[in-house]
Amino acid sequence: MNERMKSLTLGLVVVAGLACAALMVRWTNSLRPPPDPNAIDESLYLNGKTARRISLGFNGLVADWYWMRSLQYVGKKILSQPEDVAIDDLSKLNLKLLAPLLDTATTLDPEFLDPYEYAAIVLPAVDVQEAIRITQKGIAANPNAWRLYQHLGYIYWQQGNYQAASETYGRGAQVPGVPVWMLAMKAKMIADGGSRDTAREIYTRMFEESADEQVKDMARKHVLLLDSLDQRDVLRKMMHAFRDKSGHCPTSWTEMPTAFRVFAIPVDSSGAPVDPSGVPYLLQPGTCEVQLNPKSEVPVK
Amino acid sequence: MPPPTITVPTHYTRVDTTASLTQSTTRAESRQSRLWRITAIARNAFREAVRDRVLYNLVLFVLLLTAASIFIGELSGGQERKVIVDLGLSAMLLFGVFIAIFVGVGLVYKEIERRTIYAVFSKPVGRGEFLVGKYLGLCLTLLVNVLVMAVGVSLALLYVSRGWDPLIPTIWPAVLLIYIELMLLTAIALFFSSFSSPALSALLTFLVFIIGHFSADLKGLAGSMGSTSARWLFDALYYLLPNLANYSFITPAAHGRAPGARFVFAAGLYALVYIVVILAAATLVFSRRNFK
Repeated sequence: MNERMKSLTLGLVVVAGLACAALMVRWTNSLRPPPDPNAIDESLYLNGKTARRISLGFNGLVADWYWMRSLQYVGKKILSQPEDVAIDDLSKLNLKLLAPLLDTATTLDPEFLDPYEYAAIVLPAVDVQEAIRITQKGIAANPNAWRLYQHLGYIYWQQGNYQAASETYGRGAQVPGVPVWMLAMKAKMIADGGSRDTAREIYTRMFEESADEQVKDMARKHVLLLDSLDQRDVLRKMMHAFRDKSGHCPTSWTEMPTAFRVFAIPVDSSGAPVDPSGVPYLLQPGTCEVQLNPKSEVPVK
Repeated sequence: MPPPTITVPTHYTRVDTTASLTQSTTRAESRQSRLWRITAIARNAFREAVRDRVLYNLVLFVLLLTAASIFIGELSGGQERKVIVDLGLSAMLLFGVFIAIFVGVGLVYKEIERRTIYAVFSKPVGRGEFLVGKYLGLCLTLLVNVLVMAVGVSLALLYVSRGWDPLIPTIWPAVLLIYIELMLLTAIALFFSSFSSPALSALLTFLVFIIGHFSADLKGLAGSMGSTSARWLFDALYYLLPNLANYSFITPAAHGRAPGARFVFAAGLYALVYIVVILAAATLVFSRRNFK
């Protein structure tokens, strides 16, 4: 065998061997029993302080790793669900590692603001005390980051603790360069904490200020829901007025076309009122009730 | 009353001036030739590193950054700029540490192993000059490495930001601090290699790198110690071992915060003093070494 043939044979052995190895990995993977999605998650081996100590100056990179791991962790759990889940309602997903992951990421890099925001939005449904603790830790490390006050106020508001929410917005309003609406939110929380107007204001500000696409989308959907709830209240009133006048509930939207114009509710080409995402509402004949269309982008709750 | 005058014989003055002139000329010439010899050794050490394909790590670095720039956006939830700075500067430090340790410990050993050191010392080259030349050669290699990597990180930032990025000017002071840390580590590797085997030198240098980043803990330990002798020991370790935490500015750089000029100056001065001490100690050990 000459030198060229020898090299060619050896090259072929390398390529074929690697291809075989890849095929064998796939084969052994197929033999492995599938992981139980409800299995208890492993715990993190390191806490944030230890991880920071042993990161030898690479703490920023390790924090990025923990941050990406948090996103992958939540993403995998969401994908394992058959139906869509909202980012702020992940209580069903057994996210017991999320708080330690975010805590480690923020201990490694205390100035990294995105994990705090994620903790404030996602964690309350999983562990509200941890969400409050991590966001407060963020405020202690970054006292001039006014958005953290906004997030903490949001957690308190969700809990119905309007007093604490008001105080938090008030503290945030003292940060130099903060938008003026933070001070207005302080007053609004005390005067009108549980109203739809306050909720709309909170989600609108969150949509405007957040850089995270998932958070923006969640805030936008909440605003759609609030607008739709207002619209549905008006539609119900209109149908009750129709029933008082005609003695029966409307069987079709075409029976009350002028009323929509009066209350500035948009309609589609067939004359049916449409929700804020542009999908027509469904009328439940004989009950004076209005429902969201399953095709609608507006969340049910 | 007029001041007393001292008369100096003319020929004495002439002889003294000529002697001092000759002496200073000889000293200047000797300094110049020493500088020339160090430069020649440094140039050769740099050429050797290039021939040994040390700079090939740049290819890996470019691949890493390119992949990060393209894919990291999807994984990091919109934090690609921060991740690129963290990843780029951390890789710069890590690759630099490997070069400083593994090339640094072989600088002297290879010359002894190949017996080329006899040829070097058969010429009028001092052992100290040899060490300093080798050290500067590796520092030059690291400088080229770090500069190319810093340009790579800046280009990656330009790519992900689709234009100018405010993080670009803030990474350069952090890059300078990384380079100073690598210079310090190279000196330590050279020091260990002046009396020990490459494997042991690499291990010891790596340990100094680790302990250097634990300096805050050493100080904390010293403060929390009950016994005075233990406190003294940890205090001594804290002050005597190189404080490499001074050069860790990667994370603040990723948040757009650059160290102040005074801090960089102080950190640079500290490194200079430390490097002079280490090279002096290395020369001291190396000059007593018997190559037989």
